[in-house]
This record gives sequence, structure tokens and C-alpha cells, in this order.
Amino acid sequence: MAQALSLLLDRELLALNRAVGELRRRNLPIESLAVGPGDAPGQARLTVIVNTDDATAEMTMRKLHKLSGVQSATRFPVRDGVARELALVKVRVPPERHAELLDVCDMFKATVVAEPPEQAIVQLAGTGAFVLAFVRALERFGILEMTRSGAVALPCLPAE
Amino acid sequence: MSVAELLSGAQILCRVLVEEGVDTIWGYPGGAIMPFYHALPDVPEIRHVLVRHEQAAAHAADGYARATGRIGVCVATSGPGATNLVTGLATAHMDSSPVLAITGQVPRPMMGRDAFQETDVLGITLPITKHNCLISETRAAIAIATEGRPGPVLIDVPKDVQNQKTEYRPVSGVGRQVSSARFSLTPDTQHLTPPDDRVRQAARLIAAAERPLLMVGHGVILSGAYDEVRRLAEKTGIPVITTLLGISAFPESHPLHLGMPGMHGEVHVNRAIQHADLIVGIGLRFDDRVTGNTKGFAPRAAIVHIDLDASEIGKNVPVAVPIVGDARAATARLVAAVAPRRCEAWIAEVQGWARQREESYCGDLSPENIVAAIHDAAPDRCTIVTDVGQHQMWVAKLYPYRRPNTHITSGGLGTMGFAVPAAMGVKLARPGEAVWAISGDGGFQMNMQEIATMVQERIAVKMAVFNNGYLGMVRQWQQFFHGGRYSATPIWSPDYVKLADAYGIPGWRVERASDLEPVLARASAQPGPALVEFVIEQEANVFPMIPPGATLSEPIEAEPAAAAGD
Ligand SMILES: Cc1ncc(C[n+]2csc(CCOP(=O)(O)OP(=O)(O)O)c2C)c(N)n1
Repeated sequence: MAQALSLLLDRELLALNRAVGELRRRNLPIESLAVGPGDAPGQARLTVIVNTDDATAEMTMRKLHKLSGVQSATRFPVRDGVARELALVKVRVPPERHAELLDVCDMFKATVVAEPPEQAIVQLAGTGAFVLAFVRALERFGILEMTRSGAVALPCLPAE
Repeated sequence: MSVAELLSGAQILCRVLVEEGVDTIWGYPGGAIMPFYHALPDVPEIRHVLVRHEQAAAHAADGYARATGRIGVCVATSGPGATNLVTGLATAHMDSSPVLAITGQVPRPMMGRDAFQETDVLGITLPITKHNCLISETRAAIAIATEGRPGPVLIDVPKDVQNQKTEYRPVSGVGRQVSSARFSLTPDTQHLTPPDDRVRQAARLIAAAERPLLMVGHGVILSGAYDEVRRLAEKTGIPVITTLLGISAFPESHPLHLGMPGMHGEVHVNRAIQHADLIVGIGLRFDDRVTGNTKGFAPRAAIVHIDLDASEIGKNVPVAVPIVGDARAATARLVAAVAPRRCEAWIAEVQGWARQREESYCGDLSPENIVAAIHDAAPDRCTIVTDVGQHQMWVAKLYPYRRPNTHITSGGLGTMGFAVPAAMGVKLARPGEAVWAISGDGGFQMNMQEIATMVQERIAVKMAVFNNGYLGMVRQWQQFFHGGRYSATPIWSPDYVKLADAYGIPGWRVERASDLEPVLARASAQPGPALVEFVIEQEANVFPMIPPGATLSEPIEAEPAAAAGD
């Protein structure tokens, strides 16, 4: 089952290293990692999506929680919340296919964020599956490059 | 046609080691590696040496690797066994030595639960290995360790994997070559041909230079570029400097050989660097012990840098002409490109700066006399393995190395305790020649337990201990830079002759130069290990010395005026 672990860390690589090291050491199947700013200055947020059972996720949380540099750690099954990743996709678009590209973007609520000559960079946020579907829809234009972030997540239920 | 067999992970590991040509491994058993040790007696092709401490297993594997150029293998159990390997792996990592460490790990279902003797050895060794991983293909691990710029690789094998039965089909012949190129971590610079224009540019600089120098390092030994370097020197007449790890890459007796640079380099060698207008560096990394303060390093010189590892180029000193590639191939190209020339006036100028080393000795049992006597006891076929400290510098500067790769020492990490176990590895790699482990009284006491290994396994290493009653090199720094406060540097030693006797090997104490020759002759004649203690002057110093942070132009050449004291 996909579980989201959401950690507030001291904003330094050593804390991140320690947290990721603990995950690696347990040999858990990690689906995605995302690191960004935390809620306050000096904090970083690490979101981990990991496929494991409740008990293992819970034990991992307790381990993570006690690490130096980890300020807080919460966990919830992804199905009890939302998890979204960001994708940037650079496609080839000759001017005559521009409208067609916009149609695809509309369908997925994606936006064109840059338009180098004969190209477009489109941005999409969504679940992993949604992003993949979008990428598939863009394939007919010719994908030049793309990059996806790890997922960030929030619970719908109040975290215990 | 090979037939598939049902084998345990441990059996497969043993088979693969044999197929990869491993004939010697160094290790120590324990719970998590027991399936491996259970399988081991079925492979008589592999000789296992039981060490007395896992650190020694790693150093011995390192010594073996440095002496042969092939993979050196060490084995330890999980937890304390694995952590004991750490210093040895860090040593091999700093000096680019191809070592394979195999560690047992708790069964996979127990991992991450702080099981008995569980340690995150992958996490611990991450920054001190070229590569490490859980389980892994052993063949790939060996390929990564030995290809490109070599380095240590650790594979952590959970006990359940060692026990698990799988179908195994032996691979043989050419088909079994695994390349590390599959792993993005090893860009294949080894087979990369340096661009012609770079080589021509270097050749033009060599033709135009008035004060050129060749500086050669460990890369020349690793790639076996001895002939190429020698031809380059002889065709151009450029004098050759060998770094600590480059010693023996170029014969000391050669008229073009200048000596060692850096912190304890001879004054004329460092001065040559400071006056040079061109430095051609081959297979070295311009380490801070070589350059002194880089701001003032070789201020007049353009630098041509040949190295396999692109990340070394420009790391410490600015480089005018970078040539990324194997030292041997790249130097061969350079030899072909250069025009013959001479550098007689320049060499005469440098030789004019040479001077007698300041004698800081009162007694007659000087480092000069001891090193000369060790050399004379086995003048033809001998490899010297040194530890770290004053004796290391004396031996580096005074022993007349003639044959390639006959000087082995821990350069990058400066690991005390290296010499004795590493020499065991060298001895098994070179059974036909004398191998001397030369240590100080401090470093010797760090791993002297390995005498028991030598006795049990009949490894005939000759051990020399320079006993000055101090952690000499640190004492020297205290004398020069810390007001003569000898804090925690006086060190007591056991009676080494009795110690030797307790281990059942012959031992001698030498206190006068006149005893050197007869004692060393007897020690050399011993079929097994032997120990010789040299009682040397307590407060002798290594000269010259560039103070830490100073440039190569600022050597201390004699005893500082009576230390301020406190
Ligand atoms: C494992 C380790 N610990 C500490 C040091 C720091 N250190 C460098 S040289 C030295 C003194 C070595 O003393 P000894 O082995 O007696 O050799 P000597 O300098 O007297 O020849 C020390 C302590 C080191 N290099 N390695």
C-alpha cells in the first residue's frame, strides 16, 4: 500500500542524508522523494512515498522521528489524502499544430509555460498515473525532454 | 557446455571468486558470514588467511592489490567485523587501490531492526568506497574496483542470501568479461584517446620551455607507464620528480631523477618547482602535501596534466593543457609528439641548489645507515612497505629504488599501522622476493598482532621498527610549531626481542651502526618472519620541512633556534 511520509527537517544536507540513509538501510521500496522548503525558515520538507504495510511504515516513522535534524514526521496512506507531482515536458510543435497542443493541455488542465521556437514546455500537476497519461498523450508531438518531481502530499483526515 | 547446478549464494560467491582468478583472501569469520565460511573449504583454489583483526585483512588485501595490480579481497562478518574494515577501505580509497570487501549482513527480514551485530555498513562506507551495494553481482563489483581509476568496492551480503539456493551456470572464457561501463559511475576514460591537438600543444610547450619538469605520481605505477615516462624523459632531457606514491616509477639511479617534492622534499627539488616554467604532471593529483600552499605553488609554470580521472584536472592547481586518459597511452602519444631536446643548463642550475641534508644526528645509527643496510641486505629483489611518520619520510628519501612498484606506503590517508599487514599482502603476491615492513614504534604497535598471522600462515615478512620512544612526526611538529610541548607523544614500547620470542620468531635489537650488517644478514637469511628493532636517537627530525600552510619556497632546513618552551 502506498504510504506518504512527510518530514520537517532542519534545512541542511546532513539531516536529509540521515533521513534518507534510514530509509535506504531498511531497504524499503521507495516510489518517490521530494524535498522543498519547510513551513518556517531553516526548515525543509521531505515527502516520501513508499510502498509498504502499515506496521513497517509505522516502525520506520518512529525511527525517523528520533533522528537528529528531524523536527516532525507524519504518515498517512496515500488513499486517505492527496499526493501530486509536477511534470515539465518539452515537446516539438510546428506552428500548424499549436492548436492541437492546446487542446491536449486543456483536457489535462496543463499549461504552456514557455515557447522556444518550434517547441513548447508544458507544465502539469497530478498523480503519477495522471502525469503518465498526459505524457502518453504528448508523445504524438515528439517529446524532446522531460522532468518530473517527486510527489508532495497532504492528508484529508486530520493527522493523528 | 556448462550445466546449471543448484548452489547456495555462498557457494556461488566462492565460485565466482575462483572464476575471476582470486587465489588469496584475507578475513575473519563470524555469525553473519558463516555460510560463506562453510562453503570456502570446497574451493581449494582460494587460500584464506586468518588475520588477527579485520583492519589487517583490508590492509593486506590492499597490499596484495598494489603489488599485483589485481583485485585484493577481504572478508568480514557484519557489525564489528565490518566496522573494523573501515580504516583499510579508506586507505585503499585515497590511494586508488582495487580492494573487494565482502561483508556478512543480518538476514534481510531483520535489516533495519537493530538486529544482533547489524550495522549499516553501506552507510558507513559510502564516502570511502568507489562503489558499495547490498548483494550485487560479484563480477561487476570486481570490474568496478579494477577498471578506470581503481578503488575499493564493498558488497554486503545478507545471511539469507548466502543460504538461498539458486541455479548457477558457470561462465568461462571471454564471455565472462563484465565491464563496469554498464554502470554510469565509470566513464571509460581508460580507452579514450586524448585529442591530438592537446598532445601537440603539450609537445609545443615542452619544446619552448627553458625550465621544464616532469612530475610523476601513482598513476604511472597503476598504468605501468614506466617505459613511456622514461622515454619521455630521455628524449627531452627533462628532469623527473617522483611524488611519495610515484617513488619507484622512475629509477632513482637515473641521471635525470631529481627526488621527492613537497613537505619533506629536498630543497633543490622544491626550488626547481618554484623556478620551473613548465610542469608536465603524469598520474598525480597535486595533493596539498606535494604543493604546499597552492597560492604560491610553481608560480612561473604552465601545467600540463595527464590523468585518467577528469575530476582531478584543475582540482588543486590551474592546468594549461589537460589530457584526460590512461597515463601509459597518453605518455606514449606525447613521446611520439615531442622533438628531442636537452635541458643541461637547467639541470646544472637545479643541481647547484642541492645541498647536504642538515645532520640532526648525534649517534652513528642514523636513518642513512639503517636504510642503506636494509638495502644492502637484499639489494636485488626487495619491496619496501612503510608505515607513517618520520621513518616513512627517511625511507622515501634515502632508499635507492630501482625496480618499478617496489615502494608501497599509505600516502593519501597516512594510515599508521598500515605497513605490517600490508606487507603480508605484498609478500604473498611476491613470494620470491624480500619484503620489509618498516614502521615506527607507534605504528608498529597498532597492528603488531599480525605477527601471529605471519607465523600461523608462514608469511615471511621482515619487520623493522624505528624505535625513537616518541610518536616522532607529531613530536617534531610539537617541537617546531607548538613550543616544544610534547603532549601525549612519548610512547613506551615492549621489549621487542622478547615480543618476537613470544611469537616464536627471531628478533634483534640494533643500537650501533656496526651491528647493522650482521643482524640484517641474519634476519634476511631467516626462512620465516623476523623482527629487527633499531634504537635511534629520540629527537631526530626530518629535514627539510615546509611548514603546513607555507609555500614550497619556505623550507625549514635545520633545528629551529631553541624552542620557546613553556
Ligand atoms: C592511525 C593514525 N593515527 C594518528 C596519526 C597521526 N600521526 C601521524 S605520524 C604520527 C607519529 C608516528 O609515530 P611512529 O609510528 O613512532 O613513527 P615515527 O614518526 O616516530 O617514525 C602520528 C601519531 C596517523 N597518521 N594515523
